[in-house]
Amino acid sequence: MEKTTIKVGALPIPDPVSLYIAQAKGFFKEEGLTVEPQTITGGAVAVPMIESGQLDISQTNYVSTFAAVEKGKKIKLVADMYQAGANCFVIMVPADSPIKTVADLKGKTVLVNNLNNVATLAVETQLKVAGLTKDDVKFAEKPFPEMGNAIKAGQADAGWITEPFITANQSANGFRKLADTMTGQTEDLPIAGWMATEEWVQKYPKTLAAFQRAIAKAQQLASSDRKEIEAMLPKYTKIDAKTASVITLGTYPSELNANRLQKVADLMLEYKYLKSPIDVKSVIAAPASSG
Amino acid sequence: MTGARLLRGAVGAAGFIVAGELVLRFVVPDDLSFPPPSTILLETVRLLVDADFLAGIGTTLTNWALGMLIAICVAVPLGVLLGSLPPVERAIRPVLEFLRPIPSVAIIPLAILLIPVDGMMKVSVIVYASMWPILINTLYGMHDVDPLAKESLRSFGFGPLAVLARVSLPSAAPFVATGVRIAAGIALVLAVSAELVAGGAAGLGVYVVQASSGNRVDLMMAATVWAGLFGVAANLVLLAGERRLFHWHRMRTGAHS
Repeated sequence: MEKTTIKVGALPIPDPVSLYIAQAKGFFKEEGLTVEPQTITGGAVAVPMIESGQLDISQTNYVSTFAAVEKGKKIKLVADMYQAGANCFVIMVPADSPIKTVADLKGKTVLVNNLNNVATLAVETQLKVAGLTKDDVKFAEKPFPEMGNAIKAGQADAGWITEPFITANQSANGFRKLADTMTGQTEDLPIAGWMATEEWVQKYPKTLAAFQRAIAKAQQLASSDRKEIEAMLPKYTKIDAKTASVITLGTYPSELNANRLQKVADLMLEYKYLKSPIDVKSVIAAPASSG
Repeated sequence: MTGARLLRGAVGAAGFIVAGELVLRFVVPDDLSFPPPSTILLETVRLLVDADFLAGIGTTLTNWALGMLIAICVAVPLGVLLGSLPPVERAIRPVLEFLRPIPSVAIIPLAILLIPVDGMMKVSVIVYASMWPILINTLYGMHDVDPLAKESLRSFGFGPLAVLARVSLPSAAPFVATGVRIAAGIALVLAVSAELVAGGAAGLGVYVVQASSGNRVDLMMAATVWAGLFGVAANLVLLAGERRLFHWHRMRTGAHS
């Protein structure tokens, strides 16, 4: 193996749980790999961090990845991480809000964690179903932890929210779900994966293969036993055990499948997040096991 | 600090906490999801047995101390050099005056891009930010040296290095110490800010990032209390050191703190 110790960046959210499962279960060790997990603070700093070499591999969301690839960034996807399930990314409004349907969002302000990313894309697909476009609503950026208070304070009418904040806003603020944004065009939408630079992938093929095998094993465990996820969440996020047991989770695919991911790139093209089509196969670093 | 001052300080802090508690419990009951001070204080104490948090503090304080040490080693000699060579100072001063007001937090993204090792990146940012007050204070200290004392020494046949060691450095030392004390606070801000922006394996700021994404405002605030306590502690220790070392300087200038 070319490199036996690697630094891997992950957000403190449920998506990258298999990194910590693989670590705790010794899957990396079995491959002869020492992994140093690093908490990252957002997709925006992840790319410069893999480019400068502070991280070997990092979590990314697919919308950001494809947008970066179109801008000429030499990034490869190396493993799958998280795929949307029912009710894990929803639009929420206060219980007494006059907004009853997605169509009522016309002229309203919707909070998203990032503009021009998976959040706005997911909301746009639901607006389309209701006969609206993105120009019919105002999007504003706000970190997830601050959305509940911002909506209560009247800064916005609705928010695109994920866990553990869906549960928190339901129980503490009495918010209700207006719509599940992962339905229709976005059903089972691939959300996040692991990335490395093209240079890194070429330089360390055996290290990458070892990482891929260990992560795939942990992904299988995560998708077959929710208890594994619940046990790990309070260790790298500060989600308390009670919340961890009730939050809605997506799924954890073991294989990076170009056909599934192509859906994200195609949606981005349809909603003008991309100017020209991207062939997702060219962005994926094929696992060594298949060749 | 005298007992009476300590008592007044404690009363002030306690009053602030009680007021916060009352406001959060009775004035804004349901409109804000924010834990009352009593909850935060409880978590602040509880963090002392949280292994993750303690490891984080170790990382943050190590970066802080290392950054301060390097900043002192770079800024003091540079300040002395520039202070002793006025033409060089005049040439370099515009560059310093341009770089100094750039908010140091703004250079973190640049540092992420340029420096390949996480710990090194953070220490560099701390060094950059904490260098300025030390450098500027050293410069002022060098300007403040009594010219008569220097002249007397020279007239007795002492060389420039001897004048520097016997008059200039001792005279500038209290200014340097003040610069170090100001820099310590700035270095702590940058140590935590770099973690809030860039994350990392462990750290006080990393802990805050994790707590915030887990919707644990109580833990976020508790970690923040610790950051504040470290700042206060560093200031007190350095202030006490200054008082002891430069007693004569205080007598001369009549400075109180």
